Amino acid sequence: MGWGAARRPNPVAIHLNLESFTMATSTAAAAPQRTSATDKRRRWKALKNQLPNYLFILPHFFLFAVFLLYPIFRGLQISLYDWKIMLTDQRWLGLANYQALMNDAVFWQVLRNTFWFMILTVIMNVTLALIVAAGLKHRFTGSDFFRVLFYAPGILSVSVLGIIAIRVWEPQLGIINYYFVNVMGFPRVNWVSDPTLIIPVLAITTVWWTFGFPMLVFIAGLHSIPEQLYEAAKIDGAGVLSAFRHITIPLIMPTMLFVVVTQFIAHMQVFAQPYIITGGGPGNASRSVVQYLYETAWKYFRYGYASAISVVLALIMIVVTIVLFSLMRRRAEY
Amino acid sequence: MSTMTTTHRAARKRLISKETRRAILMWLLFLPLGFIIIIPLLYMFSMAFTTEANQFVLPIRWIPIPPTLQNFNKIFADPLLPLGRWFFNSLLVATVGTIIILIVSSLSGYAFARLEFPGKNLLFSLLLFSLMIPAAITLIPVFLLLRTLGMLDTYNAIWWPAAASVTGIFLLRQHFYAVPRELEDAARVDGANRFRIYWQVCLPLVRGALVALSIFTFLGLWNDLFWPLIVLNKQANLTLPIGLVVLQQGSYIQRGLAFAGAFVASVPVLIFYVIFQRQIIAGITTTGMAGQ
Repeated sequence: MGWGAARRPNPVAIHLNLESFTMATSTAAAAPQRTSATDKRRRWKALKNQLPNYLFILPHFFLFAVFLLYPIFRGLQISLYDWKIMLTDQRWLGLANYQALMNDAVFWQVLRNTFWFMILTVIMNVTLALIVAAGLKHRFTGSDFFRVLFYAPGILSVSVLGIIAIRVWEPQLGIINYYFVNVMGFPRVNWVSDPTLIIPVLAITTVWWTFGFPMLVFIAGLHSIPEQLYEAAKIDGAGVLSAFRHITIPLIMPTMLFVVVTQFIAHMQVFAQPYIITGGGPGNASRSVVQYLYETAWKYFRYGYASAISVVLALIMIVVTIVLFSLMRRRAEY
Repeated sequence: MSTMTTTHRAARKRLISKETRRAILMWLLFLPLGFIIIIPLLYMFSMAFTTEANQFVLPIRWIPIPPTLQNFNKIFADPLLPLGRWFFNSLLVATVGTIIILIVSSLSGYAFARLEFPGKNLLFSLLLFSLMIPAAITLIPVFLLLRTLGMLDTYNAIWWPAAASVTGIFLLRQHFYAVPRELEDAARVDGANRFRIYWQVCLPLVRGALVALSIFTFLGLWNDLFWPLIVLNKQANLTLPIGLVVLQQGSYIQRGLAFAGAFVASVPVLIFYVIFQRQIIAGITTTGMAGQ
């Protein structure tokens, strides 16, 4: 049960499948080589005929090279300088930015915050999405309505989410505390000013906003599990929970891998929720890595140091993605 | 034979009642979750039409009495908060950006699916390589580059870096693969050149994927806060998501105004969502794409 069997349209997986497909056809096309003069001329002619094809990829590839490929290497380079925007000669620092980063208590704190936020959000998102998807897999009266409704918050801008969340979690006059304290009589909780609560609060807010996406992906993934397996399990006397544990969970693993990796990548780069809702506070309790990067570069104009932050974040993300792939792929192949 | 029909009918009856039971169970399970999803949205709608003085009234008045357009009047009249301008800016950024991305991605996706040229695999693996690199690392170099090019505080700073994205190419390439080669051959025999084959034969056949790509690209550009926050500066140039953050800052903190702004920013996309729900949901489940 590897990527090939995954119905999920992971671009990478699709690419890998298609790549092996094109490779197979091209090796098949590699006929015995003859190197006569006419053959060379023919090949030259074919090449000349192929040259206009570059025009098709040229617009994108130019933009890609300028705004994506070159900046990747440029970012690595800038992180080695004390980069100031007005200077023509930048001061070379070597690895000093990275050394400073390793001793930067704020950086460690924002990294901890980000990991804690990411872990909470991914776990809640995946659990909720999978449970809801299992319920919405089969059609029933109103199932389409719930599907559309549950994805709806994801259509909103994060700025709208922020405006709503500030009012919802407000300690004195927010709707959560209204129901929590005034209606149900619990003691008042300061959701946004308590440094231990703020990350879970932001994670719950993010789950409200985003769980519809993994839910839809899981529904598609569940549809690709053959119904006969469940019927067979039923005949063997397995209950719903046991079928979920022994059929759904193992067979959903390729989808799970896609969801967990994309969720990890998205939430590790969280910025706007803490930026709008708390401004990173109280203190630094909800500041994320990307917010710290943003402020380092665009508030304090320390581009070199901010680049070092971005490189470290990128490295962490690449390493964790590889680990996730190898861990879950092993489980997926069982 | 009569026994057969009766058992059949009994089975069908059991089936229907089982389905009904299932539906009731699901409604009981999902209704609370549905409330949690919908209440903050209703809260935003009702507060947008509630006067500033009544914003803090508890218990919450879900239907504002009297409903007021005061917040909207204030927000559209205030020259410091040009919400109409921001709305138009967002529309411009998202529309032009979507068109640019559709053109460059479909050209390139078609070439990688259907055309042959030296170095194709190498170029394609470069695109693939970029997928593995988190976007954070390119923020500062792209910003500095745009500054050198004099593109900061213009929408060029949003459109062109966005058009460098590779996701559209992967999506469209895969759909162009499914176009039957015979159609292209027939067009070639009829004397169509390669551009016409792309434009008139293949592009119409991947319409579904183009629609999905344009919906998600549009929503992504319409909703994006982070990149416009970095590259845009002048008040008149801002897009709606930054405008909403401005509404929350400094001397502007007025709940009614913020909610009215959020209403203006979200109602068009919610209407869009309700109209295109089928395409959007099918788009997510078949392409794995999402706005965020």
